[in-house]
Amino acid sequence: MALADYRSDMESCCRCSACKFIPLEKVTGYARANVCPSISRFEFHSYSGGGRMGFGLGLIHGRVEYTPKTAEVIYNCHLCGACDVSCKYAMEFDVLEPLYAMREECAKHGQSVPVWDGLVAGLAKGAPLVLEPETAEDDWFADLPVADAAERGAAACPSAVLYHAGCLARCTRAAGRTAAAAVTLLARAGLKVAVDKQAESCCGGRAYEMGYRAQALARARENVARFAELGIMELVTGCAHCYQYFKVLYPKLGVEHGLKVFHITEYLWTLVEQGRLSPTRPVKLRVTYHDPCHLGRLSEPWIPWQGVQRMRHMRVYDPPRVLRRGTYGVYEPPRRLLESIPGVRLVEMARSKEYAWCCGAGGGVRETNPEFAAFTAAERLAEAQDTGAEAVVTACPHCVRNLMEPGGLVSAGASAESRIRVYDLVELLGESMSGGA
Amino acid sequence: MTLTKEQYRALAAVVGGEHLSDDPVDLDAWAWRSGQAAMAQDFKPRFEAIVMPACTEEVQALVRLCNKFGLKFKASSTGWGSYCDPGGPGCIMLDLRRMDRILEINEENMYAVVEPYVIHAQLQAELMKRGLCCNVNGAGGNTSALPLAAHEGIGHMSASCGIGERNLLACEWVTPAGEVVRLGSLGSLGEWFCGDGPGPSLRGVMRGNVVPLGGLGVYTKAAVKVYHWPGPPSVELKGCSPHYAPVKLPPHFLLRYLSWPAEEGREAGIRRLGESEICFGVMGFNANMMAANVATNNEEELRLTEEYSKQIVGPGVCLVIAGNSARDFEYKRRVLELIVQETGATSLKAVEEGEVHDAFVWRFIRVTASIRETMRATGVFGGEVFGTDSYLVQSNFIQHSRKDKAELVARGLVYPDNTDPFITSLEQGQLTHSEVLLRWTPDPEVAQAAAEYVAKANRNAVEGHYGLPHHLWGDPQHDFFGPHTCNYTHWLRKIKKAYDPNGVAESTHHITAAE
Amino acid sequence: MVTAEQLRQVVGEENVSDDPAVLAAYASDQSFVSRLSPHYVVRIPSCDAVPELVRLARETRTSLVPVSSGAPHFHGDTVPSAGDAIIVDLSGLKTIDLVDPKERVASAVGAGVTFGELMTAVAEHGLRLNLPLRPRATKSVVGSLLSREPVIMPHYHWDICDPAGSMEVVFGTGDLFRTGAAAGPGTLAEQRAAGGRQKEAAGPSAMSLHRLLQGGQGTMGIVTWASVRCELIPTLEQPCFVASDDLAKLLQAAHWLVRLRLGNELFLMDRVYFAALVAEEGETFLQLAKEAPSWLLFFNLGAYRYLPELRIEGQSADARELLQGLGLEAKPSLAGVSAWEFLEQVRSPSPEPYWKLRLCGGCQDVFFLTTYKKLQGLIDVMRAAVEAAGFSLSRLGIYLQPIVQGTSCHVEFSLFYDRADARESATVRELAIRVIGPLLAGGAFFSRPFGEAARLIMNRDAATVEALKKFKAIVDPDGILNPGKLCF
Ligand SMILES: Cc1cc2nc3c(=O)[nH]c(=O)nc-3n(C[C@H](O)[C@H](O)[C@H](O)COP(=O)(O)OP(=O)(O)OC[C@H]3O[C@@H](n4cnc5c(N)ncnc54)[C@H](O)[C@@H]3O)c2cc1C
Repeated sequence: MALADYRSDMESCCRCSACKFIPLEKVTGYARANVCPSISRFEFHSYSGGGRMGFGLGLIHGRVEYTPKTAEVIYNCHLCGACDVSCKYAMEFDVLEPLYAMREECAKHGQSVPVWDGLVAGLAKGAPLVLEPETAEDDWFADLPVADAAERGAAACPSAVLYHAGCLARCTRAAGRTAAAAVTLLARAGLKVAVDKQAESCCGGRAYEMGYRAQALARARENVARFAELGIMELVTGCAHCYQYFKVLYPKLGVEHGLKVFHITEYLWTLVEQGRLSPTRPVKLRVTYHDPCHLGRLSEPWIPWQGVQRMRHMRVYDPPRVLRRGTYGVYEPPRRLLESIPGVRLVEMARSKEYAWCCGAGGGVRETNPEFAAFTAAERLAEAQDTGAEAVVTACPHCVRNLMEPGGLVSAGASAESRIRVYDLVELLGESMSGGA
Repeated sequence: MTLTKEQYRALAAVVGGEHLSDDPVDLDAWAWRSGQAAMAQDFKPRFEAIVMPACTEEVQALVRLCNKFGLKFKASSTGWGSYCDPGGPGCIMLDLRRMDRILEINEENMYAVVEPYVIHAQLQAELMKRGLCCNVNGAGGNTSALPLAAHEGIGHMSASCGIGERNLLACEWVTPAGEVVRLGSLGSLGEWFCGDGPGPSLRGVMRGNVVPLGGLGVYTKAAVKVYHWPGPPSVELKGCSPHYAPVKLPPHFLLRYLSWPAEEGREAGIRRLGESEICFGVMGFNANMMAANVATNNEEELRLTEEYSKQIVGPGVCLVIAGNSARDFEYKRRVLELIVQETGATSLKAVEEGEVHDAFVWRFIRVTASIRETMRATGVFGGEVFGTDSYLVQSNFIQHSRKDKAELVARGLVYPDNTDPFITSLEQGQLTHSEVLLRWTPDPEVAQAAAEYVAKANRNAVEGHYGLPHHLWGDPQHDFFGPHTCNYTHWLRKIKKAYDPNGVAESTHHITAAE
Repeated sequence: MVTAEQLRQVVGEENVSDDPAVLAAYASDQSFVSRLSPHYVVRIPSCDAVPELVRLARETRTSLVPVSSGAPHFHGDTVPSAGDAIIVDLSGLKTIDLVDPKERVASAVGAGVTFGELMTAVAEHGLRLNLPLRPRATKSVVGSLLSREPVIMPHYHWDICDPAGSMEVVFGTGDLFRTGAAAGPGTLAEQRAAGGRQKEAAGPSAMSLHRLLQGGQGTMGIVTWASVRCELIPTLEQPCFVASDDLAKLLQAAHWLVRLRLGNELFLMDRVYFAALVAEEGETFLQLAKEAPSWLLFFNLGAYRYLPELRIEGQSADARELLQGLGLEAKPSLAGVSAWEFLEQVRSPSPEPYWKLRLCGGCQDVFFLTTYKKLQGLIDVMRAAVEAAGFSLSRLGIYLQPIVQGTSCHVEFSLFYDRADARESATVRELAIRVIGPLLAGGAFFSRPFGEAARLIMNRDAATVEALKKFKAIVDPDGILNPGKLCF
């Protein structure tokens, strides 16, 4: 939908500032009450959910123009959706959806971000949306005895399960190793997953988030065609972004695929529950878990809706409108998995689950404003350290990367927050599994 | 008007360039109207700039620059209220977001010292860790804990935790002329325990039963009285937003919604609750507010309103009892039973027990559902906010306005929330406050009707000698009441003029010095 | 200068006096402020006379010194500081417009109504006052409210201005104004017909001018009446003493009792103050001052209409546990004085002579507010100063009154001295001034500075003085109201 289509939603903003804080019931003290990295970093109201509704209406009314400054405000947001959850604790409108639409308008008005223009240019060919790749795209599975979905075809892949590694796994060593660990674990459980070795392409979701809707849509269609070609029934991915895009964004863009989409943690937890994987080797570690936004609050299924307000004043609709509020995100499987690893002790951060603080990688910010990405990560790492944990465990390569190297900035990485270790959950599970199934 | 380069540079020199903006994108973020009493006008005038001072010295320097340049300024804490908006051009906003520290919590003498951008949710949580609690402004945990930001400072716990004007202790005030005045013990000693003296108390100049809505300078720090918290340091919640509930309700807490067939019953009930000092919190909710509080969306609110309305027999009140000990709780519970019996109250079964009850208690104490109760239905909330005095006058006052509201409902001009006016008890019944709430979608027809409604209520207040409503914004409304009310406008203006000789503290919602 | 004739026209023949004996009664008081005789004493027959009187004073640039209570006065605030002043004696304003038990208020209580009078009037309606400890018989309730005197029930002392409600004032401009809910709309009668009770003190709108009248020592306006917030008379009570030599423990107990709202009347005092309060004659005083425990905490549990026994039972068990935790115990009597007897004494006006003067003839109080933490240090400062001055510690009484629900504590050092003894008087006078500096340094906040010390104290806070002067210029542009007091 275009920005103007969200006018009624945006007009519902009453300027209460709930979007700036974790849901008020959950505030446990002075510290860590903020939920929005953007306003926390930039301070001006315009950088909050509510402020964005305000100037968004200014954009619709032609009072505010698409200038570099406007774009700067619009793009300095992780699109983490925390504002949306906090708002919807009490209110009844979409905050996040208009933010996507604003970016689209920005791009349309020639205010896209140059670094992303460059990245997205390669998207048509399925190129990864990663700046300065460290590895060749096939490095991560080079030594793995994993099937190639293309070679074997659907019939030869009895489970018809595709492991989608995602751009980061294809381009960075750390994420590559995690993808390899994931596939190894699945294999251990006796699952014959396949990888689209030659043709896995970017899911396109991050391009959508940066405002390149058309390019993302084209990519989505091509990907879905490819899945059909491969005869895939289920898709598993270790990347929370890819997961959310396949599961939520594609239907939102109208690209139906009929696939069952799983995040690796959901899949692995099922396997552990079924006894097909048993982590046995103790990993003595006090950990805290960072909920990736895309796996957590943003991962509820897309709910298509079109309707009209049925009472003059009350915002109720015909047909009734059900909003996604982050209530039913993937919060438990990763936690249960962690708890299944002997020796691991899980302590929660002040902000978790639906109101977790973002890692800083979201919204393309790592590419557009590394300093802001580093700010957000530093806050999260400090929060993790507050728990007394030795490591922060998460379940998305983007989170892992930005928490390990906040904003990709050397200076940020060297600061105090680097004292805490960062793991992908799959790695830990892998460690606990090494030496036997 | 836009800022001149010289003005911009001077402001930037105080706060640093990164804390000042006159870009339309930053200005329009604030120009979108608040949902409070929104009328047909979507956008309010823009500020000329948004300035974000970090400390009192910066505020003072900015205020002095405003005097020098003839710029107006308006401060805001969280910026919710529509009275944070400027009335016209030539005004800069002092967004106090960066002043967000809790400076002290004195457990022995039971006060907390906050800067403007500490919100009630934060302060309440910190206090609870120390066995204390505060009166959270009824607007919600999302609002400033500074007892000088909330318009009235009346809240759910006002029965036991006082009200804004009376909870204020020492404070720091940057006058519109750019002087820093530290009231009470702060000025003499640098301590926060008392806001009065030496000699007469300037608290009475800084605010009345309402605050001057930005029109009399900037309050940069203040001490607020806090009270005993009979619960645990924290309460673990289960569930995901918006479905939270305490895993286990702290011992010795109980919530009831009581209703009576007629106002006389409610009057007797509220009076006895006050006299017996058993309530931790009292709020004059009606069926719809109860439903809105519990419901997590509007559809559910409609359904529950219908359900609750069937059980609610007339005017009602929501109350929380909390015991300092098992004995104390038992005593209070038994007294409540007696009052229920004696006054013939009906208790709303739906909130009496289980998760609904427990969750309601927690939302009530943390005042987290106010946004649900007021804004969710339509995105806009307004009405008539009356004064504070005897129960009798408040009750008499709202009876008129209830009829007028019914007429608006009949004409389809406001949300038909099927409710009774709101009346609430402060300081264990020593004072009473009342309001009539309206919700609407602000199209021109509705806006006009709402304005007429308020005008009529105001006329009624004068003709019926009921008192001065709290929501009186700007010269015209004050001037309507002034001649009937000891010419208070004359003195309010004198104060304005004395402390703001250049008229730089933006006064669209307060009063200007012009007689 | 105003003439007697002009004054007579305003207040009537019989209400103007220049009789030297009458004037002399106002030329000095129990404090050490310099003697200065007023020019006239004008008794106000009714509230209506005040605006005209003020206008006349304004025209003739005559100073007015409002007085509500009868003698003896203690703080020098009713002694003129400027020549040719007129005493505006409001003690004849005795009306009590309305007592409403449901709303717990006495509306529009005339400035001359004493505690005894008002207590009797409200008691008929089941109400009582939150009053200062054993006020003198002649003390006006409004006068007490106007000087923000501490009251003995911190439980009901929500705000420092309590128990004041709305007030009527005539400013130095001659304008009549009503603060709080009484402002209007409408006359008082019209407001009452609508249900209004002039109970709310705050407002109208964004100012609360009662706060400037209080503590103003008559410099901001002449208050003719005030409404008074009342409390219910308990149906059951249980007073008790807790004694200890360890003040810190008692303070902790006081903190918790106030915090948990266990007890209505609640305060602490040392044995000298206790002795002075209860002793009928010198012998008992000396004995008690020596033998009673060093410190006592007094508190009184109260219950109302519902289940009074259950409430008292529960609260006393809660209090007992609390005290036990501190190694303290509540007792029904102390040094032969029963808690009941004591309770009745502290909450009723003193018979003549006023108890503070009964034993030695003179009493000089040094009082201020502070936090619990600073208290012991300040007591030490005072005791050291008393010793250094060569005054006897056995005649230094100390009263500690938690106020505003425990947010601060009123500390009162009473120096009981022989007024007839010039040397002792001089010692006390000097001591009372000298100790101010060290007390300030130790964390004393003199929120109600009087007499000679006032300027010293006010000067500590130039910004407040400037701000106060701005307000003073609004309500008393010609400076006719009690000039020379505070910083005016
Ligand atoms: C839905 C809703 C419900 C409400 N319910 C209640 C209620 O139950 N009880 C009640 O008392 N009030 C209520 N209000 C009014 C409420 O007090 C304010 O809207 C709320 O407190 C605003 O948030 P804030 O405290 O952060 O102040 P802001 O909205 O930031 O400011 C409020 C006003 O004070 C001024 N101001 C703020 N901070 C300062 C400062 N530091 N120095 C000088 N001026 C300042 C601003 O200019 C503005 O005029 C309600 C308002 C709304 C919108």
